[in-house]
Amino acid sequence: MTKSKIGTVEAIMLVLTIIVTHTISSLPREILVSSKSATIINLIFISTLVILFSYLVVRLMKNFAGSDIIDISEYLGGKVFKNIVGIIFILYFLVSSSILLRNFCESLKIIYYPMTNIVFIIALFILAICTANRLDFNASLKTNLLIIPLVLASIVFLFFANMNKFVPQRIFPIFGDGLFNTFLLGLGNLSAFGGISFLYFLPPYLKEPEKMKKIALISIGISAIYLILCVSTLLFMFSFFINTNEITPLYNATRYIEIGTFFQRLESVFLLIWIIAFACYLSITSKFAMSIFKKLTNIETKKPLIDIFGILILGISLIPKNYAISDKFETEIYPYLVLGITFFLGISILILANLLKKKQKNVTSKPE
Amino acid sequence: MKGGVILNKIAQNLFIFILVIVFIMAFSSSYLSLSIDNLAYVLVIGIDKGKDNNLEVSFQFSTASKAAEGGSSQKSPSVMDTVEAPSLSTAINLMDSYMGKELNMSHCKVIIFSEELAEEGISEEIYTLINDSQVRPSANIVVSKCNAKLYMEQTSPELENLISKYYEIFTNSSKYTGFKPNATIGDFFNAIICKTCEPVAILGGLSTEKPENQTSNHIQENYNVKSNQTPIEGENGSENIGIAAFKDDKLIGELCALETTTFLAITNKIDRFLISVPDPDDVNSYIDIYLYPKGSTSIDVDTSSASPFIKVKAGFTGKIYSMSNNSQYLDPEILKNLSETCNKYLESVFTDYLYKTSKDFKSDINGFGKYALNNFFTTQDFNDYNWLNNYQNAFFEVQIDTSIKSSMLITET
Repeated sequence: MTKSKIGTVEAIMLVLTIIVTHTISSLPREILVSSKSATIINLIFISTLVILFSYLVVRLMKNFAGSDIIDISEYLGGKVFKNIVGIIFILYFLVSSSILLRNFCESLKIIYYPMTNIVFIIALFILAICTANRLDFNASLKTNLLIIPLVLASIVFLFFANMNKFVPQRIFPIFGDGLFNTFLLGLGNLSAFGGISFLYFLPPYLKEPEKMKKIALISIGISAIYLILCVSTLLFMFSFFINTNEITPLYNATRYIEIGTFFQRLESVFLLIWIIAFACYLSITSKFAMSIFKKLTNIETKKPLIDIFGILILGISLIPKNYAISDKFETEIYPYLVLGITFFLGISILILANLLKKKQKNVTSKPE
Repeated sequence: MKGGVILNKIAQNLFIFILVIVFIMAFSSSYLSLSIDNLAYVLVIGIDKGKDNNLEVSFQFSTASKAAEGGSSQKSPSVMDTVEAPSLSTAINLMDSYMGKELNMSHCKVIIFSEELAEEGISEEIYTLINDSQVRPSANIVVSKCNAKLYMEQTSPELENLISKYYEIFTNSSKYTGFKPNATIGDFFNAIICKTCEPVAILGGLSTEKPENQTSNHIQENYNVKSNQTPIEGENGSENIGIAAFKDDKLIGELCALETTTFLAITNKIDRFLISVPDPDDVNSYIDIYLYPKGSTSIDVDTSSASPFIKVKAGFTGKIYSMSNNSQYLDPEILKNLSETCNKYLESVFTDYLYKTSKDFKSDINGFGKYALNNFFTTQDFNDYNWLNNYQNAFFEVQIDTSIKSSMLITET
């Protein structure tokens, strides 16, 4: 993977992949349920915090040019610590993508494949990512570069096509469940920006590592606008997402698009775009997981891992007995994983490593 | 070495072949279940109250093959079947078995509830239908003053060969007559759950069922009609004029044609409408005016006291439609007088309508609650105000600003 370097735009799209796929699933609904009418204020607040956070990550990583979080962990705590951090990130990527895949496939089963066993729907995605992962890493990135803007455009279209059904007054009461819930408990919505976990792994792959700050800020900025558009569409259109749990809320919004009597039922086009975006997301997360594994085990090639990781994703996604369990994971456990791993573990490693570096610098520069 | 590569290639191709076969087999069941040959497309669902707390559910199907045989000039016959069952889902299941095909709701245009059933509450049926991924949120909801089954039987569009085409466009006239709303199941479901509004449906009935002693031909009477009471006679046995107003999921009252126009004007869902206002120069005659909303109706809700105070400001431009001898519609003074008369008339109509929804129906079908939301800082504050119950205490102030511009082609006679 290190042979093929990532361009700036490709890197931005890479960070956007995670947020895009999660919004297709239940993320907008979860944000709405937690912040109600104050969702947009909450998202602006959260986005500002995440921009500051990503700026901090970039600043802290600057002292370890060309290294990712795994290398920095090794610097901080040696091989054992590197292995622990590596395994945590591998599990995080595999488990979160597997459960997200399961939930998405459950929705597809309800909508289009009522008689097909869920195993086959998931297996179709696994087949796609195993095939994609056999190609060069750039192949996935280039596809991602095409698909993510398409998804972003589809969400902008969804927003404007449904505008005539909006009730903008639903932004009130302005503080939703109160200031405490909006700004303090609402901090839980930081988990929406799980995509910044890729920032920890990007530096070794960037064509222009000096543009890391630009990549971080632009990708978080676009993610914030994208998320606000998604949530606004649901908030202004429906009164029921706050009280009623409905699968794939954005799909529900697509069903309302009607342009005259000729352009109706556009939801299938949206689903097609989202399915491809999902395959891209799975391919990228599994590739990152394999790269970490390769780094930990010092194996020469990733090729033998492709099918194993594919089967692992299939296996993990089949663990939940039903949609209720996988949905519970996505809505109740996944946010804590993001907060714990991306926002706590990652930044803690970077801060401690920087302190250690400073200490070592002081020791070496001290006259004997 | 070469043999090993060939063997490897064969094994790879065999694996791909097996995979393709497995996936074809796995997805064929879903494909077959959605195949057009195995589906019966429901166009209309009619739900009546049956015996012993059961539902009597009628399904009207499209018969594509018969339509094709008949050609484009012949009316396509539709098939209708009825089943009695304890719930809507059981009725669908029983009908699946009877038809030998799976009922598919993806082309269902209208869902009709009988007045009797709607009075008892229809949330269970609405939730069931919304839960079905095939039912479109744009399917219309009609509350029939007669039996839903009878309404379906009597509906025979005169100008459309395909009944599906008729149901696709039958609400279009609401934009220029204002006599019926475009009430959909998506909006209805939204309003059931909403804490700032209540649902409405189209009021349907039979044009053959006229009340006795309908003798008055007063021009205003034509705007006070609703389904089952119109002076229309025609081949289409059903008619849809008026609104069925709900409180939660229960039918609470009906609105006539003029009140429906008012509802649509307040909720900004009308492009133009015709009204008859008293002639300022002759008390016994009326002038027909086409009104076009100037912009969105401005609504201001004051919740500082326990009784909400609601100000409604609407503006219209008008064009005189009716003509008679000695019409002087180029005289600015006449147009000004007419505008003022129009204002007074509309203010009285709007006020009567608003108090009817508040005091009689106790139901905020206009969705004024959403304009009250910005008076509260938190959702809890709004919930404590208990808007939906408090709406019955509301007071209204209506301001109408009409400017009659001219007549149409003829300006003076």
